[in-house]
Amino acid sequence: MKSVYIIAINTFREIIRDRILYGIIVFALLLISVSLALGQLTFAEQARISANFGFTGIHISAVVLAIFVGSTLVAKEIDKKTILTLLVRPLSRLQFIVGKALGLIFVISVVVGCLALVLAMVFMGLNVSVNHLFFIGLYGVLLEAMILLAYSLLFSSFTRPIMVVSCTAGVFFIGHWLNDLKFFAERSKSLVFQQFEAVIKYLIPNFEMFNWRSLVIYNESVSVGELFWASIYAISWFCILILITALIIRRKDFA
Amino acid sequence: MSVLKVSNLKKSYKAGFIPRTQEVLKGIDFSIEPGKITGFLGANGAGKTTTMKCILGLCEPDSGDIRYFNNQLLDRKVKSKIGFLPERPYFYEYLTGEEFLIFYGQLSTNLKKSDLKIRIKDLLTKVDLLHAKDKALRGYSKGMLQKIGFAQALIHDPDFVILDEPMSGLDPDGRYYLSELIKEVAHQEGKAVFFSSHLLPDAERLCQNLVIIKNGKVVFEGETLKLLEQVHRGFEIVFAKQEKLEKLKVEDENELQKKIDYLRSENNRIFEIKKLNMSLEEAFVNIALEKKS
Repeated sequence: MKSVYIIAINTFREIIRDRILYGIIVFALLLISVSLALGQLTFAEQARISANFGFTGIHISAVVLAIFVGSTLVAKEIDKKTILTLLVRPLSRLQFIVGKALGLIFVISVVVGCLALVLAMVFMGLNVSVNHLFFIGLYGVLLEAMILLAYSLLFSSFTRPIMVVSCTAGVFFIGHWLNDLKFFAERSKSLVFQQFEAVIKYLIPNFEMFNWRSLVIYNESVSVGELFWASIYAISWFCILILITALIIRRKDFA
Repeated sequence: MSVLKVSNLKKSYKAGFIPRTQEVLKGIDFSIEPGKITGFLGANGAGKTTTMKCILGLCEPDSGDIRYFNNQLLDRKVKSKIGFLPERPYFYEYLTGEEFLIFYGQLSTNLKKSDLKIRIKDLLTKVDLLHAKDKALRGYSKGMLQKIGFAQALIHDPDFVILDEPMSGLDPDGRYYLSELIKEVAHQEGKAVFFSSHLLPDAERLCQNLVIIKNGKVVFEGETLKLLEQVHRGFEIVFAKQEKLEKLKVEDENELQKKIDYLRSENNRIFEIKKLNMSLEEAFVNIALEKKS
């Protein structure tokens, strides 16, 4: 565990000292500011528009961090050969992958936390209550980012970063459309389409399971059971993907 | 007792659009003794780096056997006794020299942070980088990076140090400094040092033992002196004749004794008698040509 923690802390430090992170934060802050400005233009829906834009900004930031930073997380270590000096230490390849993933999850959590603080201030300015639903919305964003990051790491174990970004973005979109895909497959006469849907639902998680961002807007609630099973679902996907990545990396020659 | 024993190591890669198997290592055998500096020589593409990576567990050999510290297999315990400096190292440029060594130290030792800091201070003093401990690695010169890389290889006080082309790209000052560090590590601290190099004069000066590979096979393994003595070119006597230094070459030992007697009888002062061997460069070329023919 100590080795995993050391790799995670170093990964956190690496990303925090990288300029790309601040670009993403500025983008999210801009989106939250736009939400405030757009809210002013409406009479009755100001809170809803601000919440929508605010949560979208945080969601996009977390997803972009998971996909883009995740795609270079291991590739950079291989390209620059720093991985050579790490793997000759008493450190397994699984520990290395888990450490890298936890480091980025930590960064995403900090970024989401900071942006949430800004959004909470916007909410308070609009007299919208910052209650447990607000935090459940953020928790869903983190679960989704965690799985996307695991996909990034998996793809980066056998392909180049540009392909990693494309494939992970594909997973992100399909994962959000799985319910629609099921709806159309059930009504489709095409056997190929039906089989495609039947297979894809086992390869890609349903990201809509973690979409609790609108709860705060409509003041709807979510059961503890639903939260629990969604967490188990996300953690299982994360663990399976990380294990597959570690298995691929285990057989890899670092020539 | 051996620090490392490599037996019949084979490794091939698949390369090209239509993958073709390329045999890089064709049955490598050699061993490394403790407390000695062993040079690993060979032309580009001979298989030096691949061999080192197989030894370090970074590449999976096709077949063969690698044993460490008297018959042990590579595991966490063995890894904690090995230090490694890769060729043309790139390190985390956002870390300062001290943070960098703390990172590697924490990964490979169980030292408390306070003890680790003392160890780091000693190492930074040894590699003459104490003044740059708070500077980010992105501001380090090539020579400084090589020195801090050397320090990271030693941070956990390993028994066996593997250095891949440690002198490459360094200026003469840097090469001299690193050579002295390598000698200190081997001769004073008793560590086994195994290093690959293209720079034959450095290898000749530093290494007691040599392993030379060509086309994926070991073509020489043994003491450097034995290799150089394979071609004996007689002796050279340096003497002073009327305050003027002169040199005299003789073919064999009998002639040498006769010349010494003669020079002394003529009241010449003898300063030095050198055994003339071929240089490592010549020996290396000879080996290469021998194998070609």
